[in-house]
Amino acid sequence: MLDRASTFSDPRVVKLLKTKFIPVAIDQAYQRRQQDAEGRFYQKIANQGPRKVGRGTTQGLYVATADGRFLGFNNNRGPDRVQRMLHQALVDFRPVDVRPIPRGKPDAKYVRIPPEGGLVIRVTSKVLGGYAETDDKWRLMFQQSLGRDNLWVRRDEHQALAGGRLQESLKQRLARFHLIDNTRGEPPMWKAEEIRRFDVSLKGGQLRGTVHLQTASGDRGYQADLLGFVESKDGRVTRFDVVVKGMFWGHGQYSAGAPKGRFPFAVAFTLATGTDVADKVPPQGSRGWLDGYIR
Amino acid sequence: MKLMLLVFAVFAAESLPVSEFRTLHRQLQPRQDEAWRTIPWKVSLLEAQRAAAREKKPIFVWAMDGHPLGCT
Repeated sequence: MLDRASTFSDPRVVKLLKTKFIPVAIDQAYQRRQQDAEGRFYQKIANQGPRKVGRGTTQGLYVATADGRFLGFNNNRGPDRVQRMLHQALVDFRPVDVRPIPRGKPDAKYVRIPPEGGLVIRVTSKVLGGYAETDDKWRLMFQQSLGRDNLWVRRDEHQALAGGRLQESLKQRLARFHLIDNTRGEPPMWKAEEIRRFDVSLKGGQLRGTVHLQTASGDRGYQADLLGFVESKDGRVTRFDVVVKGMFWGHGQYSAGAPKGRFPFAVAFTLATGTDVADKVPPQGSRGWLDGYIR
Repeated sequence: MKLMLLVFAVFAAESLPVSEFRTLHRQLQPRQDEAWRTIPWKVSLLEAQRAAAREKKPIFVWAMDGHPLGCT
């Protein structure tokens, strides 16, 4: 998230990437493990850098040629350093005649395709207050950040929604994997037993309800109200606009730095149109266990 | 009866009003003009390789834990 607000908000970096490079964004937890053409190409590049495949994360910014020759690495989000790396890569770059790598058979363990006949719903989240005042630009970025993810809806759930019904499976998925504070990094999801209460009804196209999520120890939780509007035409959902707003508390191992105590937090849902490349990104909750997410 | 009305009023006040729903829903939409969103990101390395071979450009890989365009 910080990268979006720092490195990739710098006009010099943006201009370079738009004009001189082919930019690609990936969750390397997939590619570093994938036993297929996509994975092997990534692993070839990463293994020429300082972070080797098989020794934990290989996250960072890489530059490489189309035949996989390594041209640079950086894991610092300072725009000046990234810009220097990009310029150096351009100096070292020699165009090569190389064929496109055939896709071949993908590693099924890491294939993430939205359910056929289902829906992709954009999910955004924001901490609405509670942070201590700061002049630190990095902290400010966290404090102002918008969490992003996608919710996948199965065909049967889609059909039920279009018919005015909210299936229990969709309700559970929405609560467990999408009512999370993902504004500062990868957050923990909720376990099924951490849904203390989720009373929600869909009547006359209006979704209304309350939710209470809380860990057994009580160190993290969310109590909120929900309001939304669902519209459909010819058996297809044409609107899914929902807001959940309430008080959140706590954080996870990789999402530290939450406001102290309880703080106001909201999550919004809206149908994806397919016009944003991020609409293709699989839900964070499906990472590692798609069946557990989509069941 | 008064008690029932009071209870109803308290619960009604706690739920999310439509006006607040509209404000929040708008507030939580990503801005179209955010600089990082203007970059023509691909989400497949093989697609990037194909484009790099065709356009004779180097590939820039933004590789994160969690998807950089999604939940990180």
